[in-house]
Amino acid sequence: MEPSKTEIVVLGAGPGGYAAAFYAADRGKKVILVEQNPRLGGVCLNAGCIPSKALLHATEILREAKDSAARGIEFGAPKIDLDKLRTWKDSILDKLGQGIKGLAQKRGVQLVHGRGHFEDSQTLRVETADGQKFIAYDTAIIAVGSKAAMPSAFDLGNKRIMTSTEALEIQDVPGDLLVVGGGYIGMELGTVYAALGSKVVVLEVLPSILTGIDPDLVRPVSRFAQKAFKEIRLNTKVLKMATAGKRIKVTIQLAGEQREELYDRVLVSVGRMPNISNIGLEHTKVTKDDKGFIKCNARQQTDDPHIYAIGDAGGGVLLAHRASKQARITVEAILGEPSVFENIVIPAVVFTQPEIAWCGLTESEAKQKGIEVKVAKFLWGASGRALTLDRPDGLTKLIVEPETERILGVGIVGSGAGELISEGVLAVEMGATVRDIADSVHPHPTLSETLMEAAEVFYGTATHTLSKPQA
Amino acid sequence: MDVKLPQLAEGVESGTAVAILVAEGQEIKKDQPIMELETQKAVGSIPAPASGIVTKIHVKEGMEISVGQLLITIREAGGETAASPPAGAPPPVEQRAPEASPRRQPESREAPTLSHHYQSSSGAPPPAAPSIRKLARDLDIDLTRVKGSEAGGRIVLEDLRAYIRGLQQIADAGLTAQSMAASSAAPRREAEDFSKWGAVRREKMSALRRTVSRRMVESWTTIPKINQFDDADITALLALRKKHAPAYQKKGAHLTLTSFLLITVARALVKHPRANASVDEGAGEIVFKDYRHIGVAVDTEAGLIVPVLRDVDKKNLFDISRDLGAITEKTRQRKISLEELQGGTFAISNQGSIGGGHFTPIIYSPQVAILGVGQGSPKPVVVDGKIAIRTLLPLCLSYDHRVLDGGDAVRFLREIIAGLKSFAEDDVIIN
Repeated sequence: MEPSKTEIVVLGAGPGGYAAAFYAADRGKKVILVEQNPRLGGVCLNAGCIPSKALLHATEILREAKDSAARGIEFGAPKIDLDKLRTWKDSILDKLGQGIKGLAQKRGVQLVHGRGHFEDSQTLRVETADGQKFIAYDTAIIAVGSKAAMPSAFDLGNKRIMTSTEALEIQDVPGDLLVVGGGYIGMELGTVYAALGSKVVVLEVLPSILTGIDPDLVRPVSRFAQKAFKEIRLNTKVLKMATAGKRIKVTIQLAGEQREELYDRVLVSVGRMPNISNIGLEHTKVTKDDKGFIKCNARQQTDDPHIYAIGDAGGGVLLAHRASKQARITVEAILGEPSVFENIVIPAVVFTQPEIAWCGLTESEAKQKGIEVKVAKFLWGASGRALTLDRPDGLTKLIVEPETERILGVGIVGSGAGELISEGVLAVEMGATVRDIADSVHPHPTLSETLMEAAEVFYGTATHTLSKPQA
Repeated sequence: MDVKLPQLAEGVESGTAVAILVAEGQEIKKDQPIMELETQKAVGSIPAPASGIVTKIHVKEGMEISVGQLLITIREAGGETAASPPAGAPPPVEQRAPEASPRRQPESREAPTLSHHYQSSSGAPPPAAPSIRKLARDLDIDLTRVKGSEAGGRIVLEDLRAYIRGLQQIADAGLTAQSMAASSAAPRREAEDFSKWGAVRREKMSALRRTVSRRMVESWTTIPKINQFDDADITALLALRKKHAPAYQKKGAHLTLTSFLLITVARALVKHPRANASVDEGAGEIVFKDYRHIGVAVDTEAGLIVPVLRDVDKKNLFDISRDLGAITEKTRQRKISLEELQGGTFAISNQGSIGGGHFTPIIYSPQVAILGVGQGSPKPVVVDGKIAIRTLLPLCLSYDHRVLDGGDAVRFLREIIAGLKSFAEDDVIIN
């Protein structure tokens, strides 16, 4: 069969893949986009960012309603219709998936549905519903994403042991839910289930939840979780899981002591792995790094000159917006432009209660690398807006290069931190100084003022607090 | 007392602190080096202006420091801390009214410092908006070379323009455009992974190493050079040295072959002024210098440093020997000042004490010639139709063909050889 020819083939239609395909098409390239899932959008849209945020928003109301009693407004007991909740969530995914499809068609990006498999460095075989199709291309962009890791010891084939993908389907509200892994996925989904009424226990093998994030940003989240969850157990390991009728028997090790407990469901959120084991990479020159992700350089090029890799498949921090940025850099690299994925600020947001967001250099990283910084912190207890929202549990901080007063990083914890961090991204990308932020008027009363106040803290002249920066 | 960065040398306004050599609370002596500073000209140390105890260090390694900037505070032995004029420098010329720097302002944008090199304590790249960074990337301009004029050193479009304008001025002037390109703009070779072939060890290039490397590349890529080999018969000269060395020793000077070379070369330079000149390609002129300041390559633990002996042609052999000994020692101890490394008109690289025959030294731009000297050794030579054993000194004159032609060079080198061969005893005797 004669293969169809194209300049660029993109394997995987997630936020990396479709961004690459669209941008390449916008820049005049002939593009084929290959996706095995009938709905476009990748993990982000189908089993990640979007459904989890839909559920977090929907269930947040439950907590708000409860808290509202203290403010003099009481509601009756909520009625939860899981099917309706799921349908609403899925309708969002369908809408967005259709949107991507429409955008692809309008750009002339050809969509091929099916599993892609490399035959050699310049040929992709796709198993479609209508049989095999071959695509001969000049350049391929691998954007196949990642999936939740399920250690074989826990993989009993029992539906009650879930990864985030299954947990997002909300089959039921388990009475007792065990979350294995206190990373951001476990904490976010734990929050959803706790709001719906599950007694949530989080087990974390490390001495802290949300490891890697500055401890002062994690603290409000820990405090919230200690109230909302049944328990958070640190330094704890799961040794074994077994089916026990309709429940799961979990053997855990805590402080040298073994214990057996029964749960209705278990969510395993212990990390993610790339979807690259079955795509024929062995027929190309693509190699993997020591963590099993595709190895690529700062221009996203793999060891195979015809193949680039972006997003989760290439490892690093697994974030949709990072994949989208890499997509643009890849297309520019293919066009011969000097673009590189270097010195690019990639913000991160954890959608816990409250949210955590940061960008650029973190305080922990500065400490670890021995970079001398000054940190200016503003506690939200002094923010009028935070108090009117009944959310004083927040903190905004600036990480500053002392001699130039340049802002190297921003960290925020608090309600809506994810929406606030972009000002920090702009500041770091622009090489802004603390003075630049302090002198930019922020509207009152908003949470965005906390950035300006933090900047004033740096100079010891903040209006609403008396604190000084820390060296 | 507050120690500030003194005026280093003409035209040098700032430098990068590459090493702080004292610690807070440390007791230091006058003239003890307190820090090493790299400027576009050289790496040199800053001596303490007084003895005392360091109470505060105000600068950090890697920082760009300007003349007059506060370096350290010393509590002087028996005295209280008080402000004093900058270290090792005469008091400020005059305390003039606010219009203090009328000269520098237009300069900053019109003629950008092309030697600028951004370094931050955090290791962050130079501050610039993404749009500016993209523009620089597209133009293949390394932003660490561009001086930012905004708050915190942020680079804006105007700074990029000024930098490019500066590059064009240099290109127009036909000066060292090539070397600029070679050392900065050219894309760096991708680092090779040597560990593939066996164990490796990596060592940071010192500021001195980097300076040497930059200057050598500049010389190599800009100067059309020729190497002229010859030998000098120094049999008689060695005898003279042997005879008079003890007298020199008694008066605290070491009579070395380099002293003889210095005086001989300086006299030859008087007769052959082109070898003592420089090129000003921008002006289309050759600059003849009425002084003979000769640089002597000194092999130090840290690497090659070339201190300069002033007015060598006006000195006698004893003075030269004494000055050479002093400056060499100072260089080895890294106490040499920036001033003492500058202004050379010619250079001598004598490897004789280590060994080796002919070699081709690299011209120390903007000088136009350098003499490379190997080790003298006994050789059979035909003298008056008979074979005799004479000590021959291997010489190589490397010279810039833009200024010197082959004839000039050979005549100059023969002059040196003749001078060494029949060195007058009168010139050795201390009077």
